[in-house]
Amino acid sequence: MLSTRRITRLATTGLAGAAAITLLAACSGSGSSSTPGGGASPAAGASSATHAAVLAGGNCSSSATRLTFWAWVPGMSRAVTQFNATHPSVCVTLEDPGAGTGEYVPLNNALKAGTGAPDVAEVEFDLLPSYEIQHYLVNLVPYGANNYKSDFASWAWSQVSQGGAVYAMPSDFGPMGFYYDQATLAKYHITPPATWAQLAQDAAKLHSEDPRAYLIDFPANDPQWLMDMMAQAGAWPFRYSGGASLTINWTGPAQEKFASFWQPLINSHTVALITDLTAGELTDMDNGSIAAAIYSAWAPSYFAPDVKRSMGQWRASALPQWSAGASVGADWGGSTYPVFSESKHPAQAAQFSEWLTATGQSWNIVKTPPSSLFPTYLPTLQSSAFKALAYPISGGSQPNQVFSAGALSIPQTPWPPFMTQVLNQGATTFGGVMTGKETLAQAFAAFQQQEVSYAKSQGFNVST
Amino acid sequence: MSSSTEVIAPARRETAARRAPGGRRSAYARRRGRSGLAFVTPFMIVFMLFMIVPLIYAIYQSLYTTKLIGGTTFSGFANYSTVLRSGPFWGGVIRVIIFGGIQIPVMLAIAFFFATIFDLGVAKWGRIFRAIYFVPFAVPIVVSSLMWGFLFDPAYGPFNRFMNAIGFHNFNWLSTNLMVPAIIIIAIWEWTGYNSIILYTALKSVPRDVVEAAILDDTPLWKIILRIKLPLVRPAIILLVFINTIGAMQLFIEPTILNNYQAGVVTNTWTPVIDIYSTAISNGEYQLGAAMAVVLAVVIIAISVASLVFRNRRREFT
Repeated sequence: MLSTRRITRLATTGLAGAAAITLLAACSGSGSSSTPGGGASPAAGASSATHAAVLAGGNCSSSATRLTFWAWVPGMSRAVTQFNATHPSVCVTLEDPGAGTGEYVPLNNALKAGTGAPDVAEVEFDLLPSYEIQHYLVNLVPYGANNYKSDFASWAWSQVSQGGAVYAMPSDFGPMGFYYDQATLAKYHITPPATWAQLAQDAAKLHSEDPRAYLIDFPANDPQWLMDMMAQAGAWPFRYSGGASLTINWTGPAQEKFASFWQPLINSHTVALITDLTAGELTDMDNGSIAAAIYSAWAPSYFAPDVKRSMGQWRASALPQWSAGASVGADWGGSTYPVFSESKHPAQAAQFSEWLTATGQSWNIVKTPPSSLFPTYLPTLQSSAFKALAYPISGGSQPNQVFSAGALSIPQTPWPPFMTQVLNQGATTFGGVMTGKETLAQAFAAFQQQEVSYAKSQGFNVST
Repeated sequence: MSSSTEVIAPARRETAARRAPGGRRSAYARRRGRSGLAFVTPFMIVFMLFMIVPLIYAIYQSLYTTKLIGGTTFSGFANYSTVLRSGPFWGGVIRVIIFGGIQIPVMLAIAFFFATIFDLGVAKWGRIFRAIYFVPFAVPIVVSSLMWGFLFDPAYGPFNRFMNAIGFHNFNWLSTNLMVPAIIIIAIWEWTGYNSIILYTALKSVPRDVVEAAILDDTPLWKIILRIKLPLVRPAIILLVFINTIGAMQLFIEPTILNNYQAGVVTNTWTPVIDIYSTAISNGEYQLGAAMAVVLAVVIIAISVASLVFRNRRREFT
């Protein structure tokens, strides 16, 4: 028989184990850093605020309808203050729980709990279907959303629509382009490539002249970037339009073609294998070791604070094309503003979301630094004032001219309704391409199997 | 720390109960029992609310499965079956066991070395150095991981440049094979000071007369340290092994941060806690994550019980 003391000691050990579980729970609850291998969106950047900071709101009349609004775009408080000043019957309070995952984790928890969610929140395009499928969003059509349809780039409007419903107002996006240091390119006598085939030749030429330098990097472990590149190549791997049916295809001819284009560049180390928007990439770009990047319009604002040597040298040119003369764009990131079904004031919340995304009053604020949003709202996108904006990192050039040119020709990207899983698993699976453990085609095949298995475990009817 | 109090408290209660004549508790014992209850109640309430209730809830949750299509259903032990058959999960468990198996003994040896030096009082400015060695413990692990990340950075870190300079070309501290050793170095840096302070305190409590007797017997210094002091601080060492093992099994922050410096090495199943985090938070499979947490806790309990059995066999604390 066990002595009392031994029982106590065993109990103590059991408690230590219990403590371990609770600690685990604590760990997962407070995770502010990005999940290993991703989860964090490109817009997530470095911010890791775990506690919501109240940034605007407060000086409202006591009779005003109170709304809570979550967003992480810097400088968003200026727009909220403007809305509150011009709409005295509504009082919006802005809180910033942190970028990307920093917001999604508390948002998901609040929505699951059925209490504590904001009325309106910033949700990226790729995450929107994940909230739609759980019926967390209010259909904005009864609140007049369709009146704004013609004000937006049609691809963006279709991203927020499902069936006859509109589940969010689209805001900014990230048209992609070839973003380069003109001094470094001039040094190697390279001009911005118009096609991917040309880019491959230029990359090989530059790397053979200086084996320590690269034309571009290929951040395969950033699934959002990779998938946007695939969309431009006509190799988008998902088909989804709501409901229980889903198509997953990472191993079709288009995907194989995409993989077989990049794999030789990876094998010959003609492209740098480094994670995008990390200190390493930005340092390499600033010191000329990486001459260019396939970036989106918002990426320079993440890059600019790290620029020391190459300030003013950065230029944008159109995204290289798969066939000469074509003009197919791509979008990397961008946000929408849905209203949550928990909201007690959906009409006012919809009114705020519509004002924020579909008025010149709002865009005149959020297109300027520090927000620097790139509009899907056509009146601003197509205005000469917006296209003429100049930035210190780009010298006297007007990068918005280039980025807005491809803005209307962006292929449809129907996101799967479990995007955080795709980002998380993708970062791990495609990370193997970065270390040379597997080829892009092998990673596609592995990912196909992982995604089909996950989708089936979530109850979807999967076709391939 | 609380574990030692837990061990001692019931023993004292036994003594109090024995004082009562004829097997009946005296008024004194009853009063003492009541005031004892008053003292432990606040602790027990917090303990129940934040430890036992979440624990039971986690176990309850682990028996269900929520699907995006189909909602929540009772699934019995299906989640446990998934965890037990998950190769990546057990790969992670083995990785942290290897990590702890190297890191803990090396760190304790270094910590014991420093503690002995401080205990001997031979070091000048011993107090200042003790404080300096303790500083890494005061640095948040996220911050120290970021700092070490820059030191180990594949392209610009001084450590890789040094290895290149002495002839190891394309050396990368954060490569697939060296990530665990790199984290061992970081963990040793973080925890040696803390462990050496505990060992130093234990060494200080070694009775002076024992050491003096040994000195009078002309015992050489190394024998005093290894044959007299080391065995006498063994309970402290075992406590540290216990605490550090639990810590090692929950490795999370260092690899998560280092993942920002080197792509493709730290996977989403690299350690069990990373696996649990990505399963629950990124994949939205909270119940499967709960089952993984329970399994990991069982593994930790198993290791702890094994160490207790070992301790009992060696007649520690008896």
